[in-house]
Amino acid sequence: MNIHLDNLTVNFDDRFQLDEINWQLNSSQHWVVTGANGSGKSALAAILAGAGENLSGSIEGLPAKVGLVSFEAQAELIEAELKKDDADIMDVIAEGTPVHEILNPGDSNQQLIDELVEKFQLQSLVDRAFRKLSTGESRKVMLIRALASEPDLLVLDEPFDGLDAHTLEMLQQYLATLIETVPMVMVLNRFDEFPDFITHIAYVDNGRLQHRIDRSDTKAYNELYQLLHLKTTDLAVPTTDPETAIPTLDPTQPLVRLSSLNITYDGHKIIDSLDWTIERNQHWQLSGPNGSGKTGLLSIITGDHPQCYVNDIFVFGFKRGSGESIWQIKQFIGYVSTALQWEYKVGTGLRNVIISGFYDSIGLYTKATDRQKQIADEWLALLGMSDRADTPFNKLSYGDQRLLLIARAMVKHPPLLILDEPCLGLDDMNRQLVLALIEKICAGSETSVLYVNHHPEDKIKGIENYLALEKREPDNS
Amino acid sequence: MSNNYFNTLPLREQLEQLAKCRFMDISEFPDGVEALKGKKIVVIGCGAQGLAQGMNLRDSGCDVSYTLRQTAIDEKRQSWKSATENGFVVGTYEELIPTADVVLNLTPDKQHTPVVNAVMPLMKEGACLSYSHGFNIVEEGMQIRDDLTVIMVAPKCPGSEVRNEYVRGFGVPTLIAVHEDNDPKGEGLALAKAYAVGTGGHKAGVLMSSFIAEVKSDLMGEQTILCGMLQTGSLLCFDKMVEEGIEPGYASKLIQFGWETVTEALKYGGVTNMLDRLSNPAKIKAYDLSEELKVIMRPLYNKHQDDIIDGTFSRTMMEDWANDDVNLLGWRAETAETAFEKTPAGDVEISEQEYFDNGILMVAMVKAGVELAFETMTAAGIIADSAYYESLHETPLIANTIARKKLYEMNATISDTAEYGCYLYNHACLPLLADFMKDIKTDVIGKGLDLEDTGVDNARLIEVNAALRAHPVEAIGTTLRGHMADMKKIV
Ligand SMILES: NC(=O)c1ccc[n+]([C@@H]2O[C@H](COP(=O)([O-])OP(=O)(O)OC[C@H]3O[C@@H](n4cnc5c(N)ncnc54)[C@H](OP(=O)(O)O)[C@@H]3O)[C@@H](O)[C@H]2O)c1
Repeated sequence: MNIHLDNLTVNFDDRFQLDEINWQLNSSQHWVVTGANGSGKSALAAILAGAGENLSGSIEGLPAKVGLVSFEAQAELIEAELKKDDADIMDVIAEGTPVHEILNPGDSNQQLIDELVEKFQLQSLVDRAFRKLSTGESRKVMLIRALASEPDLLVLDEPFDGLDAHTLEMLQQYLATLIETVPMVMVLNRFDEFPDFITHIAYVDNGRLQHRIDRSDTKAYNELYQLLHLKTTDLAVPTTDPETAIPTLDPTQPLVRLSSLNITYDGHKIIDSLDWTIERNQHWQLSGPNGSGKTGLLSIITGDHPQCYVNDIFVFGFKRGSGESIWQIKQFIGYVSTALQWEYKVGTGLRNVIISGFYDSIGLYTKATDRQKQIADEWLALLGMSDRADTPFNKLSYGDQRLLLIARAMVKHPPLLILDEPCLGLDDMNRQLVLALIEKICAGSETSVLYVNHHPEDKIKGIENYLALEKREPDNS
Repeated sequence: MSNNYFNTLPLREQLEQLAKCRFMDISEFPDGVEALKGKKIVVIGCGAQGLAQGMNLRDSGCDVSYTLRQTAIDEKRQSWKSATENGFVVGTYEELIPTADVVLNLTPDKQHTPVVNAVMPLMKEGACLSYSHGFNIVEEGMQIRDDLTVIMVAPKCPGSEVRNEYVRGFGVPTLIAVHEDNDPKGEGLALAKAYAVGTGGHKAGVLMSSFIAEVKSDLMGEQTILCGMLQTGSLLCFDKMVEEGIEPGYASKLIQFGWETVTEALKYGGVTNMLDRLSNPAKIKAYDLSEELKVIMRPLYNKHQDDIIDGTFSRTMMEDWANDDVNLLGWRAETAETAFEKTPAGDVEISEQEYFDNGILMVAMVKAGVELAFETMTAAGIIADSAYYESLHETPLIANTIARKKLYEMNATISDTAEYGCYLYNHACLPLLADFMKDIKTDVIGKGLDLEDTGVDNARLIEVNAALRAHPVEAIGTTLRGHMADMKKIV
């Protein structure tokens, strides 16, 4: 068996589309297809059983006999049975097709069917009408039918769902005996359910096959784990600490108001008379080429730019230069940037790095409270890093550092979260991880996000305001 | 004519002032910068300390502006640029001093007398004059108008660190003091505390001390272990290695970065940890060398401390000031011409551990210098906390400057006073160690011990380890580093 999907775009009843899929499978491999709900993972598996309408690209090498188990297939079968019912003459009580007929449509190995019926403990049900079975029972029937059809390829979409522990274990053991003879593609959502014999993982997101990973690539495997974890767990953004709570802001005032802002370097104006207001609960994307003053503009807001004292700046209820301290400003802001990551060259453990977000400090200089530790641990759980609470920050991969700094920035639920090129320097997988986390934050809190990026593809759901800066030529000054 | 203030005090008072030093708890700063709120702070000079302190104070909510001498403004010197580019108001003495509630004198110590004489008549009745080093008051006996409050807030780090640590959300250890003769309203301490908070110092530890203890310990530290010992050590070790046939590029690099590397271990775990980085035989060797060095150099450390205490040092230095810095400039030029200074670091890889293994003598010199300076200061009546900061604590900071651009960078970064004292020490120390150096071979500097058998005598090792740990600088160091670590997890 050698299946080739080349740039394949497939439509499913105009409800859903898989785009430009490139995928190769051979008979020595066993795949898991995974992704969030609605990502298209079931559709991708179903293509192998001939589902969907090819719009472009090609699929080659599909085997003749594919054993498919899925909720969709199960539902179709049940629906067909119910239709038969309707078609019957009113006064004859329709029984529907009995289970044994469903199990053996004609040419299957009856001996194997009997063996499996026993294994699944369905003996008492073989003569019952299929449509009378419970969902769990009909699922077992589907499984037996697929296994006994002696297929060239087994496609099992969430085969373990709804099985009791005993059956689940039996099925896993049974599947393990088939690995030399039948290649398998399983759709699974939970990493802990991946059978040991799985050799490859396909990750689907938004109708696209985003990653194909060899399981022996531990790094990629772990990152995929984290990504799936972020995409699929319903963990909410952890609450914040009431004791270090940020003072409440006047709801009628904007978060930031810059009036005729000028920033000058060596007599050269990089920002000229900019007016900009960030209202509460607005999300903004700030873009512009290098040298257009993006970082300067941000540091004016955060108070790190000395020229914030010579401009008309109103932030979080303070007019800058009226006796406020920068720590009073910074308490309202969560901030993530590559520069921060470089500066954060410390051996502080991950938990303490997150807690340092309560104090806006690089490193932790204050004794953390139990409540703060607990919150930090919730964040670590959200990131899938619970087992690394005491790992030094500088031992983390680059992408994980970024995720952690986002958690640090969010830990206090700031009214404004500034993400300065949060995906810079990250590979594709880590980019998606970061974006997944940001989306979670945008959706789940009262924080306004100010997102700085010049990659249009890194769009974030929920951002509706845009400010584009242009690079100013030196003679404009 | 200057009149040494310390020498005018009765002995009882001298001892009392020298012994003033108390580590303040962070809970003693509940009022933050309140005492400075609504007050106008004018900084004189925008150099290393001036810029860093001013930026921190402004970021803490204080009203800060700068006054510079007329020529600096007219010529748009670096000090003028630093202040204006950072968005500060800059003005002449006449424009700004009369409006100031607090004047921070952050000009070079050598200029303090003319600067203070120029600004004092312009100062508001009842205003405050602050220093970051007490030389002018203590050694020159500067008399300040009776209605003015005089305080000192002295960060124990170079200006760059003062700013960087603040931005991280931390600070640097800071010494504060009130000049008791000038505290007419009794508000000196409150102002000094608020100022220390404004620069972030309270987060890293504040020592409440006296002008006298600050000056006498600061001078002692900087001219002996901090700068003098590193300069003398650099020159001696380099010449010895070259004489013994070691490639000059290697020798130059071993020294330039060696001080930084070995004192990094000092910063984290004191002298004990620095020596623990050596193999057992090397540790015993370093210990023996340092004991020998301490015997040879002790009279020199005593002389420096005595000259500092009785004012001989500042008097001779001020004579040089009056003589157009002939000595200082001559010594500076001489240093630039030394073989070490002129040989660039070679393009060779030296691992972190190799700096220890091949720099046993350097380790011994640091140990001897730290311990001698500490012992001499405490014997003169300076409290251990203060002696620790002025010796061991600052050594790695100075070593960093050598790593950047050798002795030139060190002498450019430190004050003229420190530089003068450093040369003084160097000139006395080089001949003093001449005989000692004759017996030195590459096993302790350049190549490391060449041993078939790395075994050592247990009894001897136990003795050495015990002696290292029993030194009083280790006890106070453990306590103070403990304070720091509680507050600052990353040292
Ligand atoms: N460096 C340290 O590590 C350190 C640590 C603690 C305390 N301190 C103390 O801090 C104070 C300042 O030291 P620093 O190292 O910051 O000095 P610095 O970097 O040399 O800066 C001195 C500033 O004063 C100005 N200045 C020089 N001569 C002047 C004069 N005659 N009149 C008016 N202004 C003059 C200079 O500007 P122009 O020449 O452009 O006028 C410059 O901006 C000293 O008391 C020092 O002991 C220093």
